[in-house]
Amino acid sequence: MDYSLLAVFAIPAISIPFVYFTGKKSNKAAAIFVALIALVTLALLSTTVPAVLNNPDHRYVETYTWIPVLNSSFSLFVDGMSLSIAMISVVLIIAAAIFSINYMEGKKNVAVYYALLSMLSVGLVGVFITSNLILFYFCWEMMLIPAYFIVGNWGYRDSYKAAFKFFIFTHAGAVFVLLGLGALYMATGSTDMFQVQSALMTHGTDIARWILIALTGGFAVKMAIVPVHMWLPDAHSEAPATMSALLSGVIISAGAYAILRLSIGVVFPSVDAAFGVTFLHALAIFGIISAFFGSLIALVETDIKRLIAYSSIAHMGYIMFGISLFPTNVTAGTTVIVVSTAIAGTILHILSHAVSKGLFFLSAGAIMHQTETRDIREMGGLAGKMPFTTVSGTIAALSIAGAPPFACFISEVLIFVGAFQVINYDTFFLLPTAFMLVATVLSLAYSLRFISRVFLGTAKAKETPEHKQILEVPKYMKIALAIMVVMVILIGIYPTFFLNLIQTVQFG
Amino acid sequence: MMIEDVSAWLVWVLPLIASLFVPLIGKYSAKARDYFVIAIASVTAALALSLVPGVIFGDGQAKIATISWISGLDAGVYIDPLAVLFTSLVAFFGLIITIYSLGYMKGEEGLTRYNYLLLLFIGSMIGLVLSDNLIQMFIFWEMVGLCSYSLISFWYKRPESVKAGTKVFIMTRIGDISLLAAIGILFTMFGTFSFRGIIDGIVLGGFDPELMVVVAFLVLGGAIAKSAQLPLFTWLYSAMEAPTSVSALLHAATMVKAGIYLLARFILIFSVAPVIIEALHPLWFPIVAWIGVLTAIIGASLALTTTDIKGVLAYSTISQIGFMMAGLGAAVEGAASVGWFSSLFHMISHAFFEGLGFLLAGGIIHAIGTRDMRLMGGLKKAMPISFILMAIMIITTSGLPPFAAFFSKGLVITSVTETGNLIQTILLYATAAITFAYSIRMFSLVFMGKESEHIQKQHVHESSKIMLIPAMVLAAFCIIWGISQPLIANFMHFELEHTLIGAFTSLETPIFLLLLLPTGLIAYYTYYKNNQTFRRVAAGKNPLTTMLNHAFFFDDVYNSIARGISKFSDGVRHFENTISVFPLKFGQSVVRIANVVHLYFDTKAYNSLDKLINGLSNTTLTGVSKMRKAPSASLRNYIAASVVGFIIIAVLIILTLGV
Repeated sequence: MDYSLLAVFAIPAISIPFVYFTGKKSNKAAAIFVALIALVTLALLSTTVPAVLNNPDHRYVETYTWIPVLNSSFSLFVDGMSLSIAMISVVLIIAAAIFSINYMEGKKNVAVYYALLSMLSVGLVGVFITSNLILFYFCWEMMLIPAYFIVGNWGYRDSYKAAFKFFIFTHAGAVFVLLGLGALYMATGSTDMFQVQSALMTHGTDIARWILIALTGGFAVKMAIVPVHMWLPDAHSEAPATMSALLSGVIISAGAYAILRLSIGVVFPSVDAAFGVTFLHALAIFGIISAFFGSLIALVETDIKRLIAYSSIAHMGYIMFGISLFPTNVTAGTTVIVVSTAIAGTILHILSHAVSKGLFFLSAGAIMHQTETRDIREMGGLAGKMPFTTVSGTIAALSIAGAPPFACFISEVLIFVGAFQVINYDTFFLLPTAFMLVATVLSLAYSLRFISRVFLGTAKAKETPEHKQILEVPKYMKIALAIMVVMVILIGIYPTFFLNLIQTVQFG
Repeated sequence: MMIEDVSAWLVWVLPLIASLFVPLIGKYSAKARDYFVIAIASVTAALALSLVPGVIFGDGQAKIATISWISGLDAGVYIDPLAVLFTSLVAFFGLIITIYSLGYMKGEEGLTRYNYLLLLFIGSMIGLVLSDNLIQMFIFWEMVGLCSYSLISFWYKRPESVKAGTKVFIMTRIGDISLLAAIGILFTMFGTFSFRGIIDGIVLGGFDPELMVVVAFLVLGGAIAKSAQLPLFTWLYSAMEAPTSVSALLHAATMVKAGIYLLARFILIFSVAPVIIEALHPLWFPIVAWIGVLTAIIGASLALTTTDIKGVLAYSTISQIGFMMAGLGAAVEGAASVGWFSSLFHMISHAFFEGLGFLLAGGIIHAIGTRDMRLMGGLKKAMPISFILMAIMIITTSGLPPFAAFFSKGLVITSVTETGNLIQTILLYATAAITFAYSIRMFSLVFMGKESEHIQKQHVHESSKIMLIPAMVLAAFCIIWGISQPLIANFMHFELEHTLIGAFTSLETPIFLLLLLPTGLIAYYTYYKNNQTFRRVAAGKNPLTTMLNHAFFFDDVYNSIARGISKFSDGVRHFENTISVFPLKFGQSVVRIANVVHLYFDTKAYNSLDKLINGLSNTTLTGVSKMRKAPSASLRNYIAASVVGFIIIAVLIILTLGV
């Protein structure tokens, strides 16, 4: 046994004070330090790839003894799903850190900012690589607190109001998560996901139902599924660009991951079949509502960041819909459900949405940074002035719209193809699938509206002498955008690396 | 290894990869970039040509080569007569258009982007027709849409171009989701995306023919949007905002032809099982034919009224693709029907004459700087070569013998007649007559009569050589293409009973020619002779002209739908903004109630309660206001506290950890 995952957890954690002291000296050094630490994390994560691909159960596990009283061990693990999402998160952190070099220039307390960013990265990656419920919850909160401070302190306008809303909403969600996790421990006496899962099978389905609802409800708040989405537009639009990219890219996706891992993976097998089917149908309906609600508002929103934020709600709707396509037609007694087309598509969509939305928010941040406005009615014709950002922003918008050869296209296709496989045995999904297909037209519409209003047409932004000339973004922003562009195109053209990982995922 | 094994891959990979180098070379030298693009287009055309012998001497069956791509899904090429026919067409037109663009786009800004997108467009379309599986095809299907979006809004500073591009992308997306649904159902049925796998699955049986009808309808939905058919045809007219060279490519070879390819491909697949063709008989074939016929006549009648020279050509394409659809709808015996072949044959002749039309229109627009035909007239003198070429174009379009469309359009009408649907046949004849009329109208308005004021004001030149030579090549094809009918049938491994001589001697030809007379005469007198009576009738205000001027109100309906959605979205947004302040309002009202209570019960008896409430509301208030202001000093304390807390927990974890 080697210590890769422990190092993934520990190295960024230990680096926090050093990041802080570097940040005291230099903004750039701290950013590069954070990026390097993240790069090391990425390398450590990738050492587990062969194990995940080749181990018989397609999991790579590290267990250390920890809190014996609670019968709890410090267990870290990765499988195809958690490994791929963790890797994408780390890539986003690298891009966000590099982007910060220019973005945070001349702002106050940058040292604290970078310390919080590394703290966030610990929690973020931790959520994905642990199978211990206590540690999971710890990381879950660890993700929230730094995010709250970053949004509040370095955000725009009423940032503390937005951050407060964010905190209250997601914390309320976290309370439900805690209730669910506590109930799991009470019922099974174990804090390890996999032990809990098999132990719960022997209990009655009543408790499992309630746990399922509590956990999913709690995670749905993080995912910003309508109607518990209200924190998201404010938090995303007031947050600094890097934080928006992380929030929208991976933090809300952590909610989707948690639903797949805990609600579906751990609790779902224990509920009775009829309730399970109803539960999935409910998820599908919430998914559709979110997709339409988000897309429709994005269609008329005039604030550049709120527009993208609503598009995140819409895409969480797609992901929720994808989760609802979890196969229920497997014969009783089989405990291992190898991932289906729709679920593979959903997990891939988590990744492709993360990189696309990360790129989208970073591009929007670059635009706001350069034009000093956030109203898309005042923009236009930026293609001539900021060609690089135009390309990156257009690629992001087109990916979000589901156009090839960009990332979201292939994952959406997989979700829809998988949906028809599900319709084959559950005709309920016929109508939801049709609705979701229509929603993709809406997402194309708002993306194109974004492109036309911001980049194309003629310049509307005032360029009177007191306003500075709009210039292309500085070097490090370009590098950060370029990293994300490469990821978006790479996943779009050759998703094989991630799909190979995802296909090894086993539920139950 | 045979040459076609390599070239079947290279023919679409090369333009796609080469497109990436365009920006790099463009930075270095504009001239090098232009020649690079033409060189790539030439090589692509040569590669496409190298596929032809294999098909001619082959057995008509598909050859497949794959490489691994996504697990469970290989990328591959599917080489059969249908695919190679389209490949050659696209590669040939790619070359024609890249050469033409040298002249037409000279001096424009953003040519690097233009050339990049052009190669991407060509590569994507060839990739589409050579794909051996549905996913790969769908990717290129979407990429073709993406490229047309980018090229239509090429002049991105003009709001009309941007609007047109957006409209095209969104309208065709409606068809795309229909196609995606078809792909989903097929995968569920057969467990594979590859054409070969699906064909094998069909041969083995075990599918539900009724479900196949659903698939066929969904595929039709995709084709309708892409090929600008009823009721989603309006985007093609808006797409006229594109540079004319792009329009030529889009109409002749890429984009709109994708829908025809799709239907032809699926009819070919369905033909494996007579059961499916049987199941398609009652509804699908008639509906395809009706869509084709109605689109043909609607497109033709709109071409009669538009004043935009490119608009005439756009509606003409809509109408001609209607003919192709009608032919496919008449393919009631599957791919062995004359309808199937005639549709493809007409597809190629349409490429030649419509491509020619656009190249000439481009030259005219270039020369006089307007698309409005009311400002044109008498160009015969200034542009004699264009005049002759345009004459060839309108003769071909109208289907006069012995040019290309005479044979191809004739074959389409014959195939529809053979299905025994009299009304459709009559409507197609009527369309052919109207086609003649709008061709004469355009020709007269542009070239005949006196030179207009607009033209007199400027010194009009004939188009440059680099623009005329591609047009001449197309004109030559317009003339000879019809005669190649037996060769093409041979190439497609199609047993065609209709001979060339038969086309002349059949009863249909004189009827057809007779029909052209009245409409041709009306158009001649109205526009050529400028007969005032006819003109007044044409310009009069009656229900028919209103309908035509509004393009049968399709766009008005779509616009109001779009407005409705946008209004609804505004409502949703308003609702969202209203409820999202609810948590805050709730807190405020609690405080207000507390205040009221406090005022009302401000007596000694309630002193203790008063104090309690007062204290509570004060605490809430100060808490809220503190949160709002969030002084940065206390903030730093929070952060410090949380960092310290984190470190303590981290230390705790490390201490409790037994490695």
